[in-house]
Amino acid sequence: MKLLEKLTMADGVSGGEDAVRDMIISEIKKYCDDITVDAMGSVIAHKKGKGKKIMFAAHMDEIGVIATFIDDKGFIRFSNVGGIYTKEILYSRVRFKNGIIGVIGAEEEEFNKKPSLDKMFIDIGAKSRAEAEKYVSVGDTAAFAGGYTEQNGVVIAKALDNRAGCYILIEAMKKLKRNKNDLYFVFTTQEEVGLRGAKTAAYAVAPEYAVAVDVTDTGDTPEAPKMAVSLHRGAAIKVMDRSVMCDVDVREAMIAAAKKAKIPYQMEVLNIGGTDAGAIHLTRAGVKTGAISLPLRYMHSPSETASIADINACVSLTAAIADTL
Amino acid sequence: MRSLIKELSDMRAISGSEYRINKEIAQMFMPYADEVRIDALGSVIAVRECGIENAPNVMIEAHCDEIGLIVTDITDEGFLTFGPVGGIDARILPASVVTVHGKRDIEGVIGIKPDYLLEEGKSVKMKDMAIDVGMDAAEVRKIVSIGDGVTLPQSVGDLGKKQFSGKTLDDRASLAAVIEMMRRLKDKQLNVNVYACAHTQEEVGCRGAKVSAFGIMPDMAIAIDVTHGVTPDNSYNAFPVGQGITISLGPNIHPKLSERLIKTADDNHIKYALEVDGGETGTDAWEIQIAGAGIPTALLSIPLKYMHTSVETLAVSDVKALVKLLVNFIEGQEGDTQWLKL
Repeated sequence: MKLLEKLTMADGVSGGEDAVRDMIISEIKKYCDDITVDAMGSVIAHKKGKGKKIMFAAHMDEIGVIATFIDDKGFIRFSNVGGIYTKEILYSRVRFKNGIIGVIGAEEEEFNKKPSLDKMFIDIGAKSRAEAEKYVSVGDTAAFAGGYTEQNGVVIAKALDNRAGCYILIEAMKKLKRNKNDLYFVFTTQEEVGLRGAKTAAYAVAPEYAVAVDVTDTGDTPEAPKMAVSLHRGAAIKVMDRSVMCDVDVREAMIAAAKKAKIPYQMEVLNIGGTDAGAIHLTRAGVKTGAISLPLRYMHSPSETASIADINACVSLTAAIADTL
Repeated sequence: MRSLIKELSDMRAISGSEYRINKEIAQMFMPYADEVRIDALGSVIAVRECGIENAPNVMIEAHCDEIGLIVTDITDEGFLTFGPVGGIDARILPASVVTVHGKRDIEGVIGIKPDYLLEEGKSVKMKDMAIDVGMDAAEVRKIVSIGDGVTLPQSVGDLGKKQFSGKTLDDRASLAAVIEMMRRLKDKQLNVNVYACAHTQEEVGCRGAKVSAFGIMPDMAIAIDVTHGVTPDNSYNAFPVGQGITISLGPNIHPKLSERLIKTADDNHIKYALEVDGGETGTDAWEIQIAGAGIPTALLSIPLKYMHTSVETLAVSDVKALVKLLVNFIEGQEGDTQWLKL
């Protein structure tokens, strides 16, 4: 899965999705009729058809950190971009856009408890403020760094949330030839900071139907919070999360399409979190919206883990629903 | 009025599942409307045209969804685990007989372990409860799927001669008032077009009203919801049941519109109290007000005891007062919106 590796290894913290955007545009050029980039930076690719106007959305951005202050000794204080658990990021590596790597540390007294973000810092090995400022400026964002591994039917990488969603849309676009419906594939920005890119893109596209493709939590690890979703059980068809109650027609069309094409699927009820579907369905006078989710372990960590078979099931379901809705 | 309230309260549809009842609600509006439609999020919009060119459009709305539960998993023993939809109070669930809306509706009970087995001082959390439908897992899976909705038991109905107790008077009692208003306005010559709406998904964030308001873009809107009624354990910021409705004031409310409603109530001897919200009203009014370029919005409420439980209780006379105010307000419209200018 070379493309998935390329997509996850690129960095695109919310508000700075440019590298991912360029990569996606060059990848999808051949598979759509036209591409626009809107004011929020989202990519809107149109694959013309005569039928229903359907918008597919996957967000390009990922969580990360942003430099807020550099001290005299060259340590960088930072704030979060999107949902970060401070307990989990200690000693993680982050990568700034110029490739500079930093290590996240914390003040000594914070070690025994859940560290608060303002007691943490990034160390890039600089010995002074002047030296640090040669590489990093206040306002620069950095993404969590981590390698890409495929083994035992899973893929482990940072930013599978939601480059896996981008990958699924791209592969579905490749599969779809002579589509009947009028399809928009939208790669949105700023999902992690409040479903913001999807909101304006959906306003511009004004679709009849929409499907968001994103990741979801699982309940299949030892003593995990109760949840029926598991890895390797197929594409998850979302019923609800905090941002959306999925449209029943879209949901049932997904189930029917999965059954017909023998695509493994599971139902998802998520009592936390939100997706682009939440912003899209409230656009203008309302959009009938559903969501396909990829089950993902260790969300928002540098070692997000998903099943390759599930990714393929999501590709098949996305392509199937595009022409059966 | 009572039978209309009962009919609506007996319907079962959690937020997001209003497709179960919206066609039925549309039918109820049909005799009194020129057009009834259902929008993308499932809201019912009944339009009564006055026939005058460029007449103002007035939205009168209540929400038709109800709080409830959603099935999150089916255990190997056949129990259903569940999560909340809307602001449900976990304390009321044990010993409830609920309805699970699977391929067909089935009854289930929510049991908890006996008190003497419970650690002292501990209450039972929703995540530890389950619905028992008396079937094994294989049998259950034929009928119930993850994501199916669950609704609360129905209350007794008539409570004494003046009050009514039902599971979903929030907000179907208000919807009953909107339907009754439309009935009373039938064959009356009006100077405004009326958009009577039953909106969806209020309990999960006023979502139906938000998109419907954008779609209709009325010149003014009146949202109708319930407010806390005085009970033995609560008189703070609560209003006595049977003493009339409330008219809201605050930043969510257009001052000229509330002024007109107050004057209409005074002129017609309709009992009301003023209710003040310093910020968010937690009702559809909050989203409607800022839809599109903005909509002058007001909020009327029926005092309701035991909100968000299966024994919500109100006085029928308050619902009647509400209908009277709405009818008088619409009939009093002269066909312009100049009076709304700030």
